[in-house]
Amino acid sequence: MNFKDLPPIKEQLMKCVRCGKCRSVCPVFAEVKNETAAPRGHVFIVQMLRDDKVEPDHKVYEKLSACLLCENCTVNCPSGIDIHELNAAARAYIYEKNPSLGKELVFDTLWTSPGLLKTSTMLMGGVQKLGLQKLARNIGLTKILPGDLSKAEKMLDSVPSRSARSQLPEVNKAKGEKKYTVGYFLGCGTDLLNPEVALATVNVLTLNGCEVIIPRESKCCGLPHIANGKLETARRLAAHNIKIFNSYEFDYFITDCASCSSALSRKNMEFLFKGLKIEDTAYAFAEKVMDLTVFLVDVLKIEMDGDNLSEKRRVTYHDPCHLANAQGIKSQPRELLQRIPGIELVEMKNANTCCGGSGTYSVTHYDMSMKILDKKMDNAMETGADMIATCCPSCMMQLRYGTQRHKWNCRVIHPVQLINDFYLHKPAKTAGE
Amino acid sequence: MEKAIIGKELVKILGKEKVLVDELDLMYYSYDSSFLTKLEPSNPFAVAMPTSTEEVQQVVRFAWENNINIVPRGAGTGETGGCIAVNGGIVLDLSTWDEIVEIDARNMQVIVRPGVIHANLNDELAKYNLFFPPDPGSSKMCTIGGMVANNASGLRAVKYWATEPYVLGLEVVMPNGDVIITGGMKSRAIKNVSGINLTKFMVGSEGVLGIITRIRLRCFPKPRARGIAMAVFDCLDDAPATVLDVYQAGVLPSGIEILDSSAITAVNEFKPEINLPAAEAILLFEVDGNPPSVDFEGEIIQQIAKKRARSVEWATEEKRMTELWEGRSVTATAAARVRPDGSRIFAGEDISVPLSRVADTLRAIRALGDKYGIKVVNYGHIGDGNVHTAPVINPENPDEVEKVLKMVDEIHLLAIEMGGTTTGEHGVGAVRRPYAEAEHGKAVEYMRKAKEAFDPKGIMNPGKVF
Repeated sequence: MNFKDLPPIKEQLMKCVRCGKCRSVCPVFAEVKNETAAPRGHVFIVQMLRDDKVEPDHKVYEKLSACLLCENCTVNCPSGIDIHELNAAARAYIYEKNPSLGKELVFDTLWTSPGLLKTSTMLMGGVQKLGLQKLARNIGLTKILPGDLSKAEKMLDSVPSRSARSQLPEVNKAKGEKKYTVGYFLGCGTDLLNPEVALATVNVLTLNGCEVIIPRESKCCGLPHIANGKLETARRLAAHNIKIFNSYEFDYFITDCASCSSALSRKNMEFLFKGLKIEDTAYAFAEKVMDLTVFLVDVLKIEMDGDNLSEKRRVTYHDPCHLANAQGIKSQPRELLQRIPGIELVEMKNANTCCGGSGTYSVTHYDMSMKILDKKMDNAMETGADMIATCCPSCMMQLRYGTQRHKWNCRVIHPVQLINDFYLHKPAKTAGE
Repeated sequence: MEKAIIGKELVKILGKEKVLVDELDLMYYSYDSSFLTKLEPSNPFAVAMPTSTEEVQQVVRFAWENNINIVPRGAGTGETGGCIAVNGGIVLDLSTWDEIVEIDARNMQVIVRPGVIHANLNDELAKYNLFFPPDPGSSKMCTIGGMVANNASGLRAVKYWATEPYVLGLEVVMPNGDVIITGGMKSRAIKNVSGINLTKFMVGSEGVLGIITRIRLRCFPKPRARGIAMAVFDCLDDAPATVLDVYQAGVLPSGIEILDSSAITAVNEFKPEINLPAAEAILLFEVDGNPPSVDFEGEIIQQIAKKRARSVEWATEEKRMTELWEGRSVTATAAARVRPDGSRIFAGEDISVPLSRVADTLRAIRALGDKYGIKVVNYGHIGDGNVHTAPVINPENPDEVEKVLKMVDEIHLLAIEMGGTTTGEHGVGAVRRPYAEAEHGKAVEYMRKAKEAFDPKGIMNPGKVF
């Protein structure tokens, strides 16, 4: 679809009154402190792009991509503008006019093929261990990848050696009476960087009467592509995933990744497909998508009974932007944590401010990402928590790096891991039993 | 002087980090919140971001020597094009200079640099049980420097008035680079009638006289309690009548706000959880003080309001008060919600009329809306007669733009006709200059003379105020 015909460009661009409310909530603006980082400024530049008053070139792309797409401006915009969508649409428009080989390779070839992505991630881990990283850099491999990869490569220190897909069968039978058949949308970040989260998700769901199917043919949710100007590829990926998941008889499509659930949400489907033939199918698909924490609390209504647990652990919760801002999901993850015996939830200041990870942002904008991370870590450390819980693999990677960076002995986990830990000691018990 | 050379010279003075010269960067400084810059954004030659008096002084001397315009800017949340280089020049972005120099709690005052954000200042002052009372709707983004330069006020002006009475003294860099201190060189006095009051002269001067670099503000003790009464009316005239009755009963609320039917719709669309009842008008009364007095005054307001209102809600719970008050403060931009394909514009948005004429004015504005076929959302500080009018149009439709500009002109003339003014708190800037003669007559000539005395070369924010 043509940039100028995209719904947010057509309908929302003119709504910005430049009131500046977005200045007060943008984590990047808080660091840069001048107007060139203000979300309303980006909206203005997108308008200038639409009106052909600035060239869709690399310089404009750089400006717009300094934004995290954390959506904090969007949820706070009194005029109701999806500022992040305008930004993403403009990135795609500029990219179309200035294709780059490195990006084609990363986002079109690598990131659309689960097998290749897995191989390259594993390779990255292997390279690290073999000390070949320097060599890879010397021969220029890292140069064709976007952004500050040289700085960010240390974030990949702990790439696990086995992906979740290689450890989990496609069909995971319900333990006990079957209540639901769920399609598990296993995202790249969980699969490759946090396989233990996937194992916990499958275990917790099967223990609670769900047959969990992980369609082998599913691909990336497309969110990294949206952030990196590859809107068309994101559309292709979404269409593919819709087709795959619709070929099963699922009651729900569940994901433990905030970014994946936001990419598969109605809102994002509107962004990708509004006005296109696939529109209605996409919306029907999105109706069935549910974040794992919402499913556990609202649908399965899980309860955990653990009266004789003496040891209390303090857990603080970080809101992933793609859960709190993109989908308004704040209470269920907290509710879940509070239901786990032995867990004390301690709120950190600004729990719903971005951690600076934002998918590929920590790689493409390492220095800014670290400034934002350091603020997040200060707030997290102030709680004196033993663990940071969050529902997004990108946040987990970033926060884990933050604990190392600040030499803080603190585990970073997904809430489902704590539930799984609990089940290892106690059998599952759902409400109504 | 060529733009490139100006940029180079500024970099020499301030260093690369504090200067923007790239055309793309400059575009981010081509707008504020005004409809004017929505139609005609205007890039400056360069942006300088000084963070010391000496740096400001050096930039100003350079501009003075080379006859380059200087346009001071805070957060760029103004609605008049006041911080825009409409005739070219260097924009001084003072928002990055956000230091609270000293909270002098023993003397009930605070000294700040111009870039401090209003809400941040009050957060800090709260630690000392103090506050800076003026309360603009843009509290979380606007700067104290911008508030002083525009003599801003806001939702609590009924009781606490505007910025001006709180400004005890200023440091100002004059257009030739001189630095002056107003309100006494060493003074920490609260009362001071020594000399011609240059502080008062500078407040609200919108950057046409000099650059404010240091602000000494009076603080008040922070009230210990608040309460908000919401009264819902089926008849518009009942709202101002109730306000007058409350005053007559000897109660001075900290704020009295009005939302008309269209504003109510807009707020509910933006924040459904606030759940305002549909009505012709809603009044929000805020009272503050010590707990017994808040209860007492709240009771009187409820009794009076009940005589005419369909319903009255009294809230003292923090969550509900925040909802109600925030509901009002976001009306400014949430107004656009009344039309799916429309945008609220900031034009003709700040008239102020005598209390006795508020109802007539609101009715006249509605009639103008009907005449031009434009949806108009009305809300504002009814307690002091400051009516905010929000026309909602498609700003990319030339016919609508033409119509709305005519309507806005009529709104401004209406305000003067009613015995009011074109602007109660947002300022004149570039957009309300045409009404200077109609409002002030011969006084404009003396304003110009005063400006010439301060700025003989005319480099300070030209094209503004008169």
